[in-house]
Amino acid sequence: MTQLAREGLWTNNPIFVQVLGICSTLAVTNLVLNTTVMCVALIFTLSLSSATVSLLRSFTPRNIRMMVETLIIAFYVIIVDVVLKAYWPQMSENLGPYVGLIITNCIVMGRCEAYGNSNPPGAAFIDGFFNAIGYSFVLLIIATFREILGMGTFLGHAVPYFSSEYWDKWIIMVMPPGAFFMLAIVTWIFRSIQLSKQEKKK
Amino acid sequence: MKNKRWFPVAYMFVVTVFFSAVIIGFSQVTEQRVKANEALAFEVAVLKVLPGLYDLNTGAVELHRRFTEEVQQPSDDSAGAYTLKQNGQIAAYALPFSGQGFWAPIDGVIGIEPDKKTITNIVIYQQRETPGLGAEVAQRKFCDQFINLTMAASDKPVVFRRPGEPLNSGEVHAVTGATQTSIRLEKIINDALKNWRERINAKQK
Repeated sequence: MTQLAREGLWTNNPIFVQVLGICSTLAVTNLVLNTTVMCVALIFTLSLSSATVSLLRSFTPRNIRMMVETLIIAFYVIIVDVVLKAYWPQMSENLGPYVGLIITNCIVMGRCEAYGNSNPPGAAFIDGFFNAIGYSFVLLIIATFREILGMGTFLGHAVPYFSSEYWDKWIIMVMPPGAFFMLAIVTWIFRSIQLSKQEKKK
Repeated sequence: MKNKRWFPVAYMFVVTVFFSAVIIGFSQVTEQRVKANEALAFEVAVLKVLPGLYDLNTGAVELHRRFTEEVQQPSDDSAGAYTLKQNGQIAAYALPFSGQGFWAPIDGVIGIEPDKKTITNIVIYQQRETPGLGAEVAQRKFCDQFINLTMAASDKPVVFRRPGEPLNSGEVHAVTGATQTSIRLEKIINDALKNWRERINAKQK
């Protein structure tokens, strides 16, 4: 289990090692609150769909496994979507089409294929869970910087200095290109740390 | 059995039926809430375009009460618009409009002063346009252009100009990079306004 956790969070992190699920990284990280909800939705979807795929793995014929996987993922995503629409319409409006796009988020399919398909449900659940956490913490780092630099707020609260007139708000941080720059910087930093550790081991 | 040719088809069928059934059941349970939320979104849009009825810190229950108690339902006299009455006089009209956007229908409400010429405000509460481009029509930056705008008497009460062009009375800037959405929204708004103006003028002659 620690092995799965370390892989999902660090050595095989979905964002900066596997480089999966970048489209949602770019789209929803301009506000920390939106990102948090998106991440919770992804944690839910990824761990449960990976476990479900694993549960059905001995019955599913190989040639139609991807259809079945998509169906399972869509099932959980629709549940998230309906719950948001019913109990948090404001957030549902903010996230717009991106909740539905979790279905096509490459991490979900990627983990179901790479792990859920060939491992028992419990392990698949844990693998999905930690991969989603690994995705979430990178997204939250990006969102924190984007919101503070671009809007001068954190979770909607004004941050001293950054919300004052001394700080010229970086509009580009709020726009999609800002996510590109942040993603590249975060990937650069984390990969450098990983590489320098590997060097030392040799 | 697993090697039979029909097995994948049957398997897919069973799995689909199972998951669909769960989802259908689930959405039936939440259907009423979702409908109530959608109704509230419309009510809030009406309150926003009418003067003095909406503020940010009011809860959903209070907003619903204001809508049901203070706003008059559309009648023949108001030509399909909701009205706000103060001392027996009409203080403002709220005209719902909707039409096909670039991707999906756009629904909104437009507020009009009793002179039937000045727009008080506009709110778009339902749209699925391209995020960051067409979806900007629902943002305040775009909608604020309509506040205190005087409609032209011509066939086109509101004219959308290209971004950056100088504006005359009754004109607003379209959204940059969203030509299709802008063209459609211009038509939706103008059709609604023209239709309403004709009906209400015919009523009051």
